[in-house]
Amino acid sequence: MPVLELDGRQLEVDGDGFLANPEVWDAGVAQSIAQYDGIEELTDKHWSVINIIRTNYEEKGMAPMIRTICKESGLRLREIYELFPLGPARGACRVAGLPKPDGCV
Amino acid sequence: MKTYTDEKKAAALAVLTTQADAKLITHMNSCVHCGLCADSCIYYRAMPGEKYVPAKKVDLVASIYRRYATTTGKLFPKLTGARNLDDATIDEMIDLLYGACTMCGRCTIHCSIGVDISYVVRKGREMLANMDLVPATLQKTVDAALETGNNMGISDQDYTDTLEWLEEDLQMEMENDNAKIPLNATGKEILYTLNPREPKFFPLSITAMAKVFEAAGESWTLSTRMYDVTNYAYYSGHLEQAAIITQRLVDEVHQLQAGKVVLAECGHGSRAFRWEGPNYIQQAFPFETITSIELMLQYIREGRIRLDPSKNKEVVTLHDPCNLVRSGGVVQQQREILKASVLRFVEMNPHGIDNLCCGGGGGQLAMSEYNDRRMSIARIKAEQIKATGATVVVTPCHNCVDQLTQINVTFKLGVQIKTLAEIVADAIVLDK
Repeated sequence: MPVLELDGRQLEVDGDGFLANPEVWDAGVAQSIAQYDGIEELTDKHWSVINIIRTNYEEKGMAPMIRTICKESGLRLREIYELFPLGPARGACRVAGLPKPDGCV
Repeated sequence: MKTYTDEKKAAALAVLTTQADAKLITHMNSCVHCGLCADSCIYYRAMPGEKYVPAKKVDLVASIYRRYATTTGKLFPKLTGARNLDDATIDEMIDLLYGACTMCGRCTIHCSIGVDISYVVRKGREMLANMDLVPATLQKTVDAALETGNNMGISDQDYTDTLEWLEEDLQMEMENDNAKIPLNATGKEILYTLNPREPKFFPLSITAMAKVFEAAGESWTLSTRMYDVTNYAYYSGHLEQAAIITQRLVDEVHQLQAGKVVLAECGHGSRAFRWEGPNYIQQAFPFETITSIELMLQYIREGRIRLDPSKNKEVVTLHDPCNLVRSGGVVQQQREILKASVLRFVEMNPHGIDNLCCGGGGGQLAMSEYNDRRMSIARIKAEQIKATGATVVVTPCHNCVDQLTQINVTFKLGVQIKTLAEIVADAIVLDK
């Protein structure tokens, strides 16, 4: 399994770079993955999306619908795509430390 | 160490030995090893080496066929290049047939005698599926569809809430409180389908298509029970599971007494349902099935929607989904639509039936195991896009959209990726 090197820590990821063990996730991991994707700094807007995704995952075991992200964050759909250029799945969910969602993403 | 049991191997060999598949036998035995297919393949072009020559994949499956289904191969395996279905052969099959082929079919177009190479790859995948050797990530997506009715495991409540939310957007966009996204309505002309990634993460295309339907005055509905246009069992090669998924949509057409099925922008989904579906369920469909691409063109030709191309001023190029152009013959329709919807349309080179795969097909997007290869072959598409000078890439396939989105970020192209419905919806002139 591929390994993500982070501040001396070795984190196992799948071939797409999603964390193999979502429970090892923390703010530092989020920042590192985001930087790898070209997001220089995680803003409050980024964090509001990340926290919604993370909470939904911890409560329901899966990524939230984009509707839930929009409603709870108050952000418009297009803003979320701008915040995470790789989209809600490969972008936001990966930064939030979730496993890769199934399907065409 | 023996990993694969004899029982499993027998299940795999049954694909080659017990089914009277004249097409498979003909195509396996016709390859003349001319090598013309090599340069047609994005894997070979990105990673030159004998391993990735498409003919090698045909030869892999054919060598097993010779060993177990021909007299000379049974008696003189070494002389005939026949191979045992041993652990090493099986591992090679998994790596090459699942991990190094998008089943794009471009090799067939360039083959000197027209060998349907991706068909042989599919048969090889069927063998592996019979041995329960589908890569875990790919099988997970099939399982989600089988267990929940859609490949992303979206609950009915989440789905319904999302459509209601989008309906509000649609009404604002069209400045019409009567604009609807109908759900589970019976007796409509059209049962429309979705790729689950639309309601889950990328719903702009749902609102866009609803706007097209509304502007055309169409009688249509979506379903809650079965709306998923995808069929990942087409990729895994598990025929029984492919048949279950196909049958569900057929049953839903009957349940809702719909006139016809319109397939959302999805290359493999269109192929799996419209062109492979009747084979999976061993029955012709008693209703019409068309892609939303063909439908939108009908609307334009019949004057049911009016478009103003000056609403889309950017330079637009088109990425052709392999399954639509090479297998389905849907080639000119998307071009005619774009020419009516945008001011400046430029082709990629090559394009149409000779287009290069984006690298996300064949289930590759689902299979994290082979991500490095998927992004290696993606460079070819990135360079193709760059050369057009376009700032918008349109593709009528959600799977391609996702791969192109990743290409866009990875290779810093700075373009927008859109579905065809989004471009058409933006160009629509509404009668006030």
